[in-house]
Amino acid sequence: MASRTRGWLAIAAVVATGLLLTFAVQERYHHRVLTLVFLWAAMGLAWNIISGYAGQISFGHQVFFGIGAYVTVLLVVKAGLTPWVGMVVAVGVAVLAAVLIGIPTFRLAGIYFGLATLAYPLIFRIVMDWLGYQEVAIPMKREQPGWFMQFNEPRSFDLLALGVLAATLALSRAIETSRLGYRLRAIRENEQAAEAMGVDSFRCKMAAYMLSAAPAAVVGAVYIHAILFIVTPEAVFGLLVISQTLVVSLVGGAGTLWGPLIGAALMVPVSEILDTTVGDRLPGIQGVVYGAALMLIMLYAPEGLYWRVRQAVRSRAGRGGEAARSAIVAPPADDAVASAPTQTVLLQARGVSKAFIGLQALSDVSFDVREREILGVIGPNGAGKTTLFNVLNGFLIPDRGEVRFLGQPVTGLRPSALCRRGVGRTFQVARTFPHLTVLENVMVGAFARDAAVSRAGVAAMAALARVGLADRAEAFPGGLTTLELRLMELARCLATAPRLVLLDEPLAGLSADGIDVMIAMIRRVRAGGVTVVIIEHTMQALLRLADRLIVLDQGRRLAEGAPGQVTQDPGVIEAYLGKRWLARLAAR
Amino acid sequence: MALAELVQYVATGLLVGGVYALMSIGLALIFGVMRVVNFAQGDFMMLGMYLTYFYAISGSVDPLLGALLTIPPFFVLGWIVHRGLLARVTGGGDPQRQMDAQLILTLGLSLVITNATTMILTPTPLGIRTGYATQAFTLGPVLLNQARSYAFAMALVLAAAVYVFLTRTDLGKALRASADDPEAASYQGIDVRAMHGLAFGIGIALVAAAGGLLATYYPIEPTVAGNFIVLMFVAVVLGGLGSIPGAFVGGLVIGLVQSLTLLVLPFQLQNTGVFIVFLLVLYFRPQGLFGRRARTV
Amino acid sequence: MLTIASLGVSYEGLRALVDVSLEVGAGEFVTIVGPNGAGKTTLLKAISGTVPSETGRITYLAQDLGARRPSERAALGIAHVPEGRRVFPSLTVMENLELGSYRRAARAGRKGALDEVLALFPILRERHRQLAGSLSGGEQQMLALGRGLMAQPDLLLLDEPSQGLGPRIVEQIFETIDRIRRERRLTILLVEQRVVEALELCDRGYVLETGRVVLTGRREALLADARVQRAYLGA
Repeated sequence: MASRTRGWLAIAAVVATGLLLTFAVQERYHHRVLTLVFLWAAMGLAWNIISGYAGQISFGHQVFFGIGAYVTVLLVVKAGLTPWVGMVVAVGVAVLAAVLIGIPTFRLAGIYFGLATLAYPLIFRIVMDWLGYQEVAIPMKREQPGWFMQFNEPRSFDLLALGVLAATLALSRAIETSRLGYRLRAIRENEQAAEAMGVDSFRCKMAAYMLSAAPAAVVGAVYIHAILFIVTPEAVFGLLVISQTLVVSLVGGAGTLWGPLIGAALMVPVSEILDTTVGDRLPGIQGVVYGAALMLIMLYAPEGLYWRVRQAVRSRAGRGGEAARSAIVAPPADDAVASAPTQTVLLQARGVSKAFIGLQALSDVSFDVREREILGVIGPNGAGKTTLFNVLNGFLIPDRGEVRFLGQPVTGLRPSALCRRGVGRTFQVARTFPHLTVLENVMVGAFARDAAVSRAGVAAMAALARVGLADRAEAFPGGLTTLELRLMELARCLATAPRLVLLDEPLAGLSADGIDVMIAMIRRVRAGGVTVVIIEHTMQALLRLADRLIVLDQGRRLAEGAPGQVTQDPGVIEAYLGKRWLARLAAR
Repeated sequence: MALAELVQYVATGLLVGGVYALMSIGLALIFGVMRVVNFAQGDFMMLGMYLTYFYAISGSVDPLLGALLTIPPFFVLGWIVHRGLLARVTGGGDPQRQMDAQLILTLGLSLVITNATTMILTPTPLGIRTGYATQAFTLGPVLLNQARSYAFAMALVLAAAVYVFLTRTDLGKALRASADDPEAASYQGIDVRAMHGLAFGIGIALVAAAGGLLATYYPIEPTVAGNFIVLMFVAVVLGGLGSIPGAFVGGLVIGLVQSLTLLVLPFQLQNTGVFIVFLLVLYFRPQGLFGRRARTV
Repeated sequence: MLTIASLGVSYEGLRALVDVSLEVGAGEFVTIVGPNGAGKTTLLKAISGTVPSETGRITYLAQDLGARRPSERAALGIAHVPEGRRVFPSLTVMENLELGSYRRAARAGRKGALDEVLALFPILRERHRQLAGSLSGGEQQMLALGRGLMAQPDLLLLDEPSQGLGPRIVEQIFETIDRIRRERRLTILLVEQRVVEALELCDRGYVLETGRVVLTGRREALLADARVQRAYLGA
């Protein structure tokens, strides 16, 4: 795709600019600033892999920076090992640390994750103090300066730092354009929806964390040799390191290559110049500048300068939503062989029970779902319908009972595993990935079946065409109508090539026309061989659609059967309208 | 190791823990009502220490009284910071993004306060000289430093005052209700946004007062925040995020842990035990001791 | 007292209410019934202001509620007993009740209101020092009702008081609502899923289905109308 090569060309242009600057700049001091810009941009890019793409904001990334610094220097001091090799060892240690930290920490949700990441650098500081490494100086190696990364020529450090930046840019770009990149962004935008589309979020986060640790370690190693020369715990594990990383990434914009580049190019020279000119009279000016930058960005442009500018440019160009849309037309009625339900049981629930504090949500629910049927699940408010879906889909583990799919027990499997086995899901409130295009949203589903980005793109377009949204592929979910959003979710689910789909209130909030389109679409899905289980409150519509109905009330299965039969069932009428209504009805 | 020595460490730990408890209550109140993790909490404490020093130098005000006198100005400061900064950061409606954004905002605020103070005031540590800082009460075999004892007592008094406020006044109950269920609170006519401002003001005022009490025995310098912010965080998480009695107990426990760690480790590693506790709590019981209030049916 | 004209509301990106108009006169008891997802709760939230209205107007005591915040509307004398009760779990029963009369106009009459509420719900007097979170569902519903009454309101909004409660307790709750209606001069707007119990209490009723008013009428008329069932079961 054209945009892919454009991305790599842009990176090449950045590197070329860096080279140009390296050779154009004369003053030793300016070289230092240039080196710092390259290094902090690389550090920001490293942080961006886990915190920008994956959205797991880490306040402790300096752990890997510090490991890079300490390991390389200690290897020089203790073993006389060249830092060129020492760096590789440091990367290995950093990745191992990422695994050890990641395994327990990614279990933590929300704010606890961020708080935990604060603790690790503090622990490392204490450990280094304890081991007696309060101050480790790099020994001068006059005989083989290059071999020990002790260049006399400042340009050499520029080139080294630029090399690190180029490598990190390449790594970031490779991730961005790979399946992992799409999956990470899906996790950031909506982790539950991503899981339902087959993304094993724990594995992906771990992969991202390990990939983000490696460049951070390299940056630390080079930083020590180029700038600091003496390693202290405060300097490499301290607050200023993470502050600079955050400033560079957040000011520029997280979640993109260009953000940390812009942030570093802007903030590093500013703070360095201030430090040199007024730093003596005003010690701490750097900290003030960084702190103020963080505050201003959070107040006025929390997404970062890159995204803010891009948004302004986009809206001026009038893209996304202003072009005339063709009305969504219900697809032609399938006159081909109408797929009739067979007798094969696809999904089986037996004795499923689930309780929450003070509430028995599901009580001994058992039923079968037959291949190619459209099964409606109904029941008054609080009957346990969504809880049931969450159990079938893997978001909840039942207290008792089991679920079997295609004859295999699947109780307790993660949603991503169930998706890979062929159980798809849409949600009551549309769970889109807002910063991805419609096509990219659907591609996340397609990735459940195929790792190749181009093939996933093709599969996603095909799914969009099936639901009639092909011309909205480049739009963003924010610009879609409710009907279009529902269709997009359906397409995304279909792209995972499911055998059975769980549709949670797909008709809610739609106009009469929209309901018609949606019903026709669902019939089409079944005609394509997919079994449909649907929760719905819009009863009149559901009666047109469903082959069979199951009624839940207060967590129990109340009735089952053909729609006409079930709606006349006295037990069901009582559940919905009350015993006294039933009595009056009988009396009439 | 003699029992007397152990008791001494426990006693010192509790005394110090009392002041930690007061610091942590402010943080817990802010989190409980506003769901904000205030990274700048330690820096406001540092400013409180400086104000107390100022009172001592210019008015010969005893720091124990000076600590009390920090409360009004810092309450106002807290209210202004909330209105001007925190209330404007919304993270686009998503509560998780909002918490991240506010954590970053307060991190930035912390950097500004620490470094601006370093710029404007001297980084040399200052101390307030009082008669009782070097004297101790004797309770059997145990020596209780007088400054720490007075600070402990004042911390308890202030904590008790907060308790009374939260349980006996309409405003205090409204604050707790806003923490429990902001929507339901608004149905009772409670202005939840004003409650946020109130919570932040009180939280900042409390930690400033704690700083004043700390100044009776701890040197005052711009970087002092860094030593205590972690202790506060751990105390609050240990007690249960958002629980005020929990934060109080958490503070005492952290004081104890810190003190008892000194039995086995040298002074610069005294926070090791605290970090171990932090990680243990996060992994095995993230809701802390008193977290997870009873649910509504 | 309350007039809603052509109200349109979107909630969580969906159109929850479309062109809804209704009226509640002073002293009236009006019920709104309808199936799950009809928009009943959204309607009450729009009146209280926790959900913004896109189109249409809500007028209370001849004032356009406009963009007033929920706490301001409550101060005007609208008491909302929310769906799912939403008592304050970490506060005691007594504290919950006291907060019911937080609005300025209600503070003077707090003592008297408290006596009345405790007389109405003796179980609350018994448990007054217990944390609200430890009460049973039915007790929490009584507490929520009591809290609403403590505001000495002019308009009482009740959102599905029967939800999640067993039949015997539900009967008790409805009996109490009836008693409240008879003993005070309150205007009540009740939203319920249980048709007969709700309709039997009211003067007039509305039936909502997928965000629209599909039926309205006096109590006896609705109770005899088979179309009510169609709104729930489609047939």
